[in-house]
Parts: sequence; C-alpha cells; structure tokens
Amino acid sequence: MVVLLSVIIGLLMVVIFRYTSDQTAIRLAKDHLKAHLLAVRLFQDQLPVVLNSYARIIAGTGKYLRLAFKPLLFIILPLTLVIVELDRYLGATPLQTGQAFLVTAHAADADSLNNLSLQLPPQMSTTAPPVHIPADNEVVWRVVAATDGNYDIGIAAAGQTFSKRTVVSSRLARLSPVRLRGQFWKRIFISAEPALSDPGPVTSIALNYPSRNIYFAWMEWNWIWLFFVLSLAAGFLFKTILGIEI
Amino acid sequence: MRTDAPTIQALVTIANSHAERSGPLKKSAVLLATLLLASIPFLTSCHRQNQTAHKLIILGIDGMDPQLLRQFMQQGKMPNFAKLAREGSFRELTTSIPPQSPVAWSNLITGMNAGGHGIFDFIHRDPKTLQLYFSTSRVEPPKHTIHLGNWVVPLGSGSAEQLRQGKAFWQILDEHGIPNTVFRIPANFPPVPAKGKTLSGMGTPDLRGTYGTFSFYTDDPTAVAGPVEGGQTIPVQVENWKVKANLIGPDNTFRKGSPAATEPFEVATDPLQPVARISVQNQQFVLREGEWSDWIPVEFQLIPFFGNVKGMCRFYLKQAHPRFQLYVSPINIDPARPALPISTPSSYSRMLSEEAGEFYTQGIAEDTKALSASVLDDNQYLQQARTVLAEHRRIFDAELPKFKQGVFFFYFSSLDLNSHMMWRLLDTKHPGYDPALAAKNGSVIADFYQQIDEVLGEVLPRLDTQTTLLVLSDHGFAPYYRSFNLNTWLLQNGYIKIKGNANVDSNEPFAGVDWSQTRAYGLGLNGLYVNFRGREPEGMVQPGAEDDALIRELKTKLLSVKDPQSGLPVITRADIANEAYQGPYSQSGPDLIIGYNRGYRAGWKTILGAFPPDILEDNTNPWSGDHCMDYTQVPGVLLSNQKIVAGAPSLTDIAPTILAEFGILKSKDMLGRSVFSSDSSAARIDKPNKEN
Repeated sequence: MVVLLSVIIGLLMVVIFRYTSDQTAIRLAKDHLKAHLLAVRLFQDQLPVVLNSYARIIAGTGKYLRLAFKPLLFIILPLTLVIVELDRYLGATPLQTGQAFLVTAHAADADSLNNLSLQLPPQMSTTAPPVHIPADNEVVWRVVAATDGNYDIGIAAAGQTFSKRTVVSSRLARLSPVRLRGQFWKRIFISAEPALSDPGPVTSIALNYPSRNIYFAWMEWNWIWLFFVLSLAAGFLFKTILGIEI
Repeated sequence: MRTDAPTIQALVTIANSHAERSGPLKKSAVLLATLLLASIPFLTSCHRQNQTAHKLIILGIDGMDPQLLRQFMQQGKMPNFAKLAREGSFRELTTSIPPQSPVAWSNLITGMNAGGHGIFDFIHRDPKTLQLYFSTSRVEPPKHTIHLGNWVVPLGSGSAEQLRQGKAFWQILDEHGIPNTVFRIPANFPPVPAKGKTLSGMGTPDLRGTYGTFSFYTDDPTAVAGPVEGGQTIPVQVENWKVKANLIGPDNTFRKGSPAATEPFEVATDPLQPVARISVQNQQFVLREGEWSDWIPVEFQLIPFFGNVKGMCRFYLKQAHPRFQLYVSPINIDPARPALPISTPSSYSRMLSEEAGEFYTQGIAEDTKALSASVLDDNQYLQQARTVLAEHRRIFDAELPKFKQGVFFFYFSSLDLNSHMMWRLLDTKHPGYDPALAAKNGSVIADFYQQIDEVLGEVLPRLDTQTTLLVLSDHGFAPYYRSFNLNTWLLQNGYIKIKGNANVDSNEPFAGVDWSQTRAYGLGLNGLYVNFRGREPEGMVQPGAEDDALIRELKTKLLSVKDPQSGLPVITRADIANEAYQGPYSQSGPDLIIGYNRGYRAGWKTILGAFPPDILEDNTNPWSGDHCMDYTQVPGVLLSNQKIVAGAPSLTDIAPTILAEFGILKSKDMLGRSVFSSDSSAARIDKPNKEN
C-alpha cells in the first residue's frame, strides 16, 4: 500500500511541478549552469574565465532555486497535509483484543491527580491499579479490550468527563494517539480529535498505539522513510518519462 | 509419470524395429534390455520417493532421566511415554565422557566422541596462557582498528566462530537432499552453514557475549553492588517516586577501552499502590509487583546514527516499595532483528518470531543464576522457567504441522535446568531440602515431565508407517549433595605447589601457584590436566613414562578418596583421555576425566581453578541436581516407535541412525551404528517391525 501511494504521489508531484513552473525558464537556467560548469573544466588554465564562470554558477543556482520555489510551494502544503493524514492511518497499528495498552491522563496540576478516574466501556477492563506520577502530573491505567470496535474511554474529573476515541481492530484504521487541550499546531499534526474543553482539569489523554513497521527490501522501515525514498524515486522516474524539467 | 510414458514408448518402438532385423533370441534379449532400461525411471523415482516420503521426528529432551521417567510412567503421570515405551522401544542411552550437555550433544550431532569433535567441557583453557574460554563458540572483535580520540574505527568486521569440529548430521542430510529442521540443538552457535532450517541453542550468548547476565536494580542499602555470578546488582535512588537507571548492553568496541553501551530507562512507582510505569526508549508499560513484562525491544547505540545493536529483554518488578527491586533479564539477541547469526537461513529466526511471538534466544534461557544469587525466589524463577517452556511449545505447535518430509528435530531444555534447580525439593536427603518449600513446589519436576508428555501426545497421532520417532535425552540426572574441590585436593596432596610467600586465595583462579613445581591442575567440571612440558607455559612433567605414571597414580588415588561423612567413594571412575577418546583432538582436552559418584560433583570454585578451604563441602546452592559425574551413573533415555536392536545404544549411534533412516552410509569417522540395525555397516532402507 505504501509502495502504491508513494508511486501515485511521486507522479502527482512531478505533474503539479510541471503545471505550476516555468518549464522554459528552468530549462534555460539549467542549460546556463551546465555551460558554465563546462567552461570551468575547459578553461581551467584561464583564471579570469574560471572566476567569471563560478560567479555565474552561483547566480544561476540562485535563479534556478527561485524558479523552483513557486512550484514547490504548490507541492509542499498539500503534501504536508497528505502526509499528516496518511500518518494517522499508517503511523501506528490499532490496538488488538487481549493486548494491554496504556491510557495516560495528564492533569493540569498534581493536586487533581487523585480526583481523576477512568470510565471504560463494558468491553474493556483494567489489568493493574492506576499509577499516579506526581512528578509528571500523570495517571496511567493499563487496559485490555475484549472485542474489536471503536470505543470512547472517559476520564472523569471535577464533575466533568473527558472522552478519548479508542480503536481496537485488526484492520487499517484512522488513529489519534492523543487528545489535547489547546495546542493548535500540535493538534493539527498529531491529534485527530477535537480539543479537550479549556479550562479543565485534564490537559491531554494519550493511548500508546503500537508503532507500525513495514518490511521492504529486507529492511524494516518506518512508513515515512519508505514513502520518502519511493516517492522520490517515482518522481525522478516519471520526470524522465514525461520529459518534465525539475 | 506422464513425462516418462513417451520415452518408454519410444524405447519399445526402437527395440521392436531393431528386433525385426534380428533373430527370435536376439529379439527376446533386446526386449528384456528395453524393459530394464524402461524401468530405470520407475526404479529411480521409487527410490527417490522412498527417501523423501520417509519422515523422522526427533524430540531432544535435555536431561530426561530414565529413573524418573519410569517412576512417573508407573505413577500414570506420563501416559504418552508409557504408550510409546509399551508399543515401541525404551532403552537407556549411554551418554558421553564426560556427561555434560555440550559434549553429549556434540556426540549426537557428529557421531564422534570428544576426540573427534573437540568439545570436552563447558569450559576450555588455552594451554599456552591458561586463559579460560567457552568451549563451543568464540565471538571475536575486528582484528585491526584505528584509534581516533575516544573512538576506535574497525578495519573489518568481527566474527563469531563455531568451535565444534566434524560434520553435523543435518549437513550430511543436506548433501543428500533430505529436508531438515533442527530447532535449538546445543553446540551449534553460530549455526553451521546449512540448507535446512536451523536455530542455534545452548551456547548462544546474550548480547553481552556471555551465557546470560541479568541486572538487578535496587535501593536496598544492604544489597552488595557489583557483579554476582551470572549477573550484577546495580544500586539506584528513588527520588520523587522515580528511578532513573541504565540498561547495560554489549561492550562498545568503537569506544576506547570498550565500555559497555548503555540505554537509559525510567521507572515511576505509584506512591501507594505496588505498581509502576516503566519507560524504555519510546516504549512504556505498567507492571504490578510480582509481574513479568513481555519482551521489550531495546536498541544500543554504538556509533550515533550509524551503529546500533538491537536486543530485547524482560522486566520483573520484584518490589515497588518500601524497597525498590527490579530484575531485568539478560539482553537477548532479538530473533526478529538478530545482531549475531542464530539461524539458517538468517530469516528463519524472524519468521519464527512472527509466527509464534518473541522468544528467548540465549542458549541457557532459564535464569538459574538469578535463583542461585537469591535475586529471584523459587516461585519467581519457576514463572520464568514456565515461560521458556511455553515459548518452546508455541514454536513447536507452529512448526510441527508444517513438517512433511525429511527430519524434524526439536530440543527442549526444561527438564535439565529445572532438575538442576529443583532436585532439592524432591529429595529429603539433600542438604538444601526444605519441607515448607517442598510442600509448595515439590511436584514441579513431575509437572515439567508431564508437559513434555503432552508434547509427545501431540506427536503420536501424527505417526504413520512412513514416520520414525526418536525421543532421546543427552544424559540423566542425579542428586548433587556434596562438592569435591579437586584443586584443593591436588594442593593438599602436593600436586599443586604455591609460591613461598603467596597466600592461597579461595576465589582467584590459580592465584600464587608455582607452575614450575606443579604437576597437575583441575579445570572445568570433570577435567584434570597434567602440567606438561612443552604444552603448558611452565610445564614440568615430561611426556611419556613420567606423565603416564603420574596419570595412573592420580587415578588410583582419586578413586580411593572417601567422603568422611558417609564413607562412600567420592569418585567412581576416572577415564584416561588416550583410552576414552578417538580422533584428532583426543589430546586437546583434559588428560584425566573425573567421574564423580552419584551425589557428588566438582565444586563451583574449583571448576575455575580456585582453592576453597575444604576438599568436601555440602552443596546448599539451589543448583541441587546434576549429571557431571561418572557417565555410567547418568544414562539418558532413548524411545522409539520402531524396534531398537542395539543392546546398549549410545549417543554416538544417533547420527548413524538418522543417516541410515534415509539410506545414507555413515562417514568413516563416526563411531556408532544405527540402533535399528544389527548390521554394523548399516544403512537401513527397509523398516523393521515394531517391537511387541
């Protein structure tokens, strides 16, 4: 799946680059760069020519980067959002039935730790007493699920209940490892759930979904590294096939 | 068959056309020749089918004792073994000299004794330096390096070397195209090159290159910090209900002085409840007091971003408070990401871990040292030992159904190590016997035997006319009541001399020994070496008549040693190497192999060359059963669904038996012969009848 996504996104990237860039100007800038590089080699015994070529190489590189910047802007923003969304599916695996996982509630202050309590659906149960960690303002529960499903785990505190989406499944699923209070950018990139109510005694609720590793080419990969390598390779391949200047 | 038909038809056509041109006699002869030619493909295909359709299952049960087995069968605890013994064959299996597992399994693997395969003990010594090393394998760092500041840059890679000599039976099977799976057989690390699937067993080190080094973290001020046998105690401080400590990994040979690589971890204990959260690298888990973790993968960084070594360990929270006590298992080689070669093909260990979950890869998985050091108590040790067997059974259950042809060998370590540790609970005469503990765990050895019986119960329904089953052990078991300190005896009898002003140290190996005046010394569990001129660095005994006389004198004297407490002989057998061993390495091991009487064994310190004050002492260590004694007193077992013809089968008969099952002649250096055949040249193709 990662391979297919990488190839498709690699293709899309070069196509977007093609239609958002000035291909003629890029080709010209690259030709100039090649010419000056050749001049450095051919006239290496003529110092003024070499120095002049170096200066033009630096200027030409700047021009090439300027020409590439606009299409890259068109690529980077949607690509970032795509990667963030893909990571919610591919970055971790859902919890398995019978497999213990941790629910960690982070409190606003150490005093409220003893007031936090866990509310579980009937399909889940705790398998150890909660661990109160005053130094970190955290309480940790070890929980196990009996059946697959999408559940809401509740943390009750000061008359309020804060819920956290929990996925128990053997299939691919959209996962949110943490629910946060505030922290807009962190929520955009890490959490896939609405913010916890602010102010409130709970600042985050986290689950330790197991990270997903993919075996590819006799190696174990995190999906992002595999995606990076394959989409880049696919991009270079399609650029050559489609005659796109990058 | 379809592919053969046109060929036969063509041959017949050619024969007929040829015959038409010849007379009737010639015609018959040609027809006969044609039929013979035509039958070649059938004959060869039948032979091939015989080779590949035949199956051999071998269960290698380390330390299964014939006396205990008979007792448990009579008590009805082992119905499957009783059935196999009743309907097939059951013999005692003569073990190796000495009866130690690496030696015994090497006998089985190669069909030779220690003179042929070169494994004489768990421990060997370099005669030139008297440095000790593990007998079965050696892990070497790169030979050439460059030093850059605190960094050491290797010019080449290190190596893991298998020290057992001789061809393994599965390598011979490979040469004949017989598929095979050999699971955790001892003395096979790193695994020898093989086409079949093999996983290394006893002799496989942990990530630190030892036979297993546990870590014990505690804030108990009475605990002695530092190394203990098989582990180390690490003092920690609890601050704000948190403990910060380091996991100890392999030596970092990329750093000057090779300090151990470490990885930090943190434990947060609940202020009131006996429970803690442990954070290691990017993993977190919660343990209650008295609970074991799953396998936790850990990665030790040797060179930032480049050189990482992956391992795995298990945590046991012994106590959260008032005193913090945390046991961490030896860092095992992770079978999913092996840092050293542990299987053939190299992907096999990963495949096993995917199919049956992570498992102990260190050769001696049961942490007997932690029990001996009182870091784990009986119940905690037994939990760990049961996990080891459960892991093996999970793999067995995953692998057995896949076995369709050739040889399937599966090794179980549980009876051996648990008989070592728990004998004191079933033997009221043992110095370590405790009625309270016996009441609680007295049946534990029987329980492990019963689990092995359950394993056999899974195999028996799979047996058909094409399948031979062998169930065998490398040796039996006996109590270990008293320790005999051989080096102390040699010292007190004038065979070892101490330098004039030196003190005898009960812990330091051979401290203060005047080698120029020493005639013999003890090393290893059963070994006695003569201080030979030209072999040892300061050898003083001349080879030939002098050494021969010395060996015979030592033999006579040792056989006459009596235990003043019981009046029993301490040693009932002493084998001279020249007489006991055959093969090119017969001179490489001990010169005299000491066979202790049932109930006696070499003391722990004398094994490594130290001099405890007393020659004989009670064994109060939890390690209470043993087999490193007179080999005739601790035979193993051999059971089969076929008739065992051999009157006194031996471990060296097993490799020839395996080969003969597939019609392969044993190699000329193999000592034994097929246990199913009375013919000494025996390559058995036809199946004998079952014993009535």
